[in-house]
Amino acid sequence: MRWPKRLLVAGVAGAVALTASACAGGQVRGASKTPEAAASGTGSPAAQPAGTPSEGVANDATFVYAPNLDVVTDWDPATSYSNEIIAMSNIYEGLTRYDAGARKAVPRLATEWTSSDGGKQWTFKLRQGVKFHSGADLDAQAAKKAIERTIEKKGGAAYIWDAVDSIEAPDASTLTFKLKYAAPLDLVASSGYAAYIYDVDAVDESGRTDAGTGPYTVGSWQKGKETELTLKAFDGYWGGWKPEQYRKIAFRVTPEITTAWQLLQQGEVTFVPRLNPQLFAQAQTTAKVMTAQSPSFQNLLVLFNTASGPAKDIRIRQALQAAIDYDGLVAALKGSGQKASGLVPQGLLGGAPGLEPKQDMQKAQELLQSAGYGPDNPELKLSLTYAQGDEDQKLLVTLLSSALKNLNVDLRARPMTWNAQWDLGKKQGQDLFVMYWYPDYPDAYSWFLNVFKSSDKPQFNLSYLKDAEIDKAIDALPQLTATDQFKAEQAYRDLQRELIDDRAAVAVPYVQTYQRALSSDVQGYADNPAYPNVVFVYDLKRAG
Amino acid sequence: MPRYLARRLGQALLVVAGVVVLTFAVMRLVPGDPAVAFAGPKATPEQLAQARARFGLDEPVPVQFLAYVRDLFTGDWGVSLRTRQPVRDDLYQAFPASLELVGAALVLAVAAGVPLGVLAARFRTRLPDLGVRVGSMLAVSVPVFWLALTLQLVFAGNLGWFPVAGEYDASLDTTSPLTLWTNITIVDALITGNWPIFTSTLRHLVLPALVVAAYPAGVIAQMTRAALIEEAGQDHARMERALGFGETAVLTRFALRPALNPVLSLIALVFAYSIVNGFLVEAVFNWPGLGRYAAESIRSLDTPAIAGVTLLVALVYVVANLVVDVLQGFVDPRARRR
Repeated sequence: MRWPKRLLVAGVAGAVALTASACAGGQVRGASKTPEAAASGTGSPAAQPAGTPSEGVANDATFVYAPNLDVVTDWDPATSYSNEIIAMSNIYEGLTRYDAGARKAVPRLATEWTSSDGGKQWTFKLRQGVKFHSGADLDAQAAKKAIERTIEKKGGAAYIWDAVDSIEAPDASTLTFKLKYAAPLDLVASSGYAAYIYDVDAVDESGRTDAGTGPYTVGSWQKGKETELTLKAFDGYWGGWKPEQYRKIAFRVTPEITTAWQLLQQGEVTFVPRLNPQLFAQAQTTAKVMTAQSPSFQNLLVLFNTASGPAKDIRIRQALQAAIDYDGLVAALKGSGQKASGLVPQGLLGGAPGLEPKQDMQKAQELLQSAGYGPDNPELKLSLTYAQGDEDQKLLVTLLSSALKNLNVDLRARPMTWNAQWDLGKKQGQDLFVMYWYPDYPDAYSWFLNVFKSSDKPQFNLSYLKDAEIDKAIDALPQLTATDQFKAEQAYRDLQRELIDDRAAVAVPYVQTYQRALSSDVQGYADNPAYPNVVFVYDLKRAG
Repeated sequence: MPRYLARRLGQALLVVAGVVVLTFAVMRLVPGDPAVAFAGPKATPEQLAQARARFGLDEPVPVQFLAYVRDLFTGDWGVSLRTRQPVRDDLYQAFPASLELVGAALVLAVAAGVPLGVLAARFRTRLPDLGVRVGSMLAVSVPVFWLALTLQLVFAGNLGWFPVAGEYDASLDTTSPLTLWTNITIVDALITGNWPIFTSTLRHLVLPALVVAAYPAGVIAQMTRAALIEEAGQDHARMERALGFGETAVLTRFALRPALNPVLSLIALVFAYSIVNGFLVEAVFNWPGLGRYAAESIRSLDTPAIAGVTLLVALVYVVANLVVDVLQGFVDPRARRR
């Protein structure tokens, strides 16, 4: 082959490759999503970058968040139910927001609220002078339309409004809910999913604009790009703006933890939501980086099959509970988990201190022996499923298998994808089912309703417990929470004792801990476990 | 030639058909319900039923297969369960970035591999040859993720010579918006004279391209060396030496051209391989290409996206092989009889 021909071939190959990816037809990158962003990009001093900081240049009041997954999959505030919560919570607001320290809802778009009729009627007074990003004013009618649209769409976490029978707006600043049954609507309204108040006429599912009232609005969105999303300050925000606040947010998708750590050290990102224990330890001693650690509302559940197989025998289940090395597990997690006390994480109404479990191998052996198993008896074979790729769950399984081996129990553990594990669980295909649980709104009721209430076709009730008395106690929880929190606390504590100690339906090894690393010039950072991985950037200040 | 072309095209179509069947089978054989991946881990039975109906998962498998094939032919590669965008659109966004990375890597690989192969052949069995052979062996065998992390740590993290990650400085989207023609950033920046994005992309390309280039550079160096040594033993080389040409001139002026024939074929095949080899590199360097898309799709069990990536990569392989076969048949009639 002569050289001119070879060059021709190379040229043709190149042209084919280019053509394959061509047809972009002269679009301006980013402009298709946000014309105003591109239009302002004339290099004028006022048009400072909204994305990641220039190489070697300081952040310039841009808060750069480094999520490990794509940010937005659903722009509709009614149905959004995924990782976009980290952006949406800065764009949209609900009637209330949850305060984990005070363990109650605090004002947001509603300034005050009351309940009556045994928790079946709720009246919210709306904040005055609030504007949507669309320019429209927030009033009771707009809020009513937003919640009704969310309920009608039936997507994502819309079920949180199931108790609502009707919504009325008797005047511009009053919103009244009539419920089918008593429920703590102030907590429901604080949810990070499906509780946003938005301008229904301005919803744009393509992400060009948004319909919220929050401090930030969409700057640009480029799906699949490294800096996927930028937000900019909404000048008409009801809370006003101070010079030291961050006026821009950029979400720079960084799947690799080590890369995120490098970017944080270089000052190219401001916040990394999770590092591994080794890097987190390094971060604690690194200049210009600070760390934050706090418990989440997500705990690990080991659900025992109470309906069939060997674990149907309560003595086996109690032996399994006693065989878990709770302290060893928490030590091995190196800070990414802390010992649980009961089913309900601390920070939620119903969190019960003093219920911390302990490993007791002697008790486990005695219980197994009384059930006809143990070291000098036939080997007991049990199956367990857990999440594939989850190193923390794998650690639990390793420790438990090792402990049970000494008791002549063969634990056959299978790591599975959630889809496959859940499918198997719905068919009662295992003796132990390991999974995380977290509430969609900050209410402990979520664990009891979803995981332990009787169900003919198990959905998340993967211990397959069926007990009318427990169901009755669970059904009473919402009204108690809405009307008498002292009694609700007691009811939650009793139920946890019943489920863990008396029925041995579940073991709770640990609550996950958030380990954050952020630039040391950020002031005022505090995790709010009711909103997983969310940074409320408006609440932060930038030093200097 | 037409019969040869038809035979090769038929074989390529068979391979594509096999891949289509395989991707469909894998999508359906993976344990678990794809509807869960779309509707979310806490989906209600109603939401799951809606998702199944939307994706036709409630139809019999043969009907699903026929619909899958029909949709592929009409350009509908399904909807990603994770991004909720058409898979074809996602691939259209991601593939050019991978092309950019692999293209740059191959330029580096050829620029380094061919001269190194010549050097090794010129000083055969001596120290430079040994060095090139050991170096190319290392380049071929070192795990790319390790190399990626090491280069990132040393040259970006510690020395700060290059950016840690990304395709270019994203703030330039505002200050120097890029007009897209090919969707390949560096090409578009060059075509439109957008020098800020061009230089930023070049700086960002260096480390990931070096990592992706390691394997092809090693293979090309070895292949060039072997081909040159073979050519240097031919009659024409003896004649050239007899005419007084030095060994370097014999290799570079006379032996190199025929020796590069197999190297050119190799480049086409290594190109397709490097697309996949670059997946891990893209993850480490946050390169917004096919690899990152594939990794996130696998992590979330996004079967339509995984099938889309598989099909696209298979097509790249098939097209690369077809191009090589056709060109070989075009220039060397003996190949048409094989």
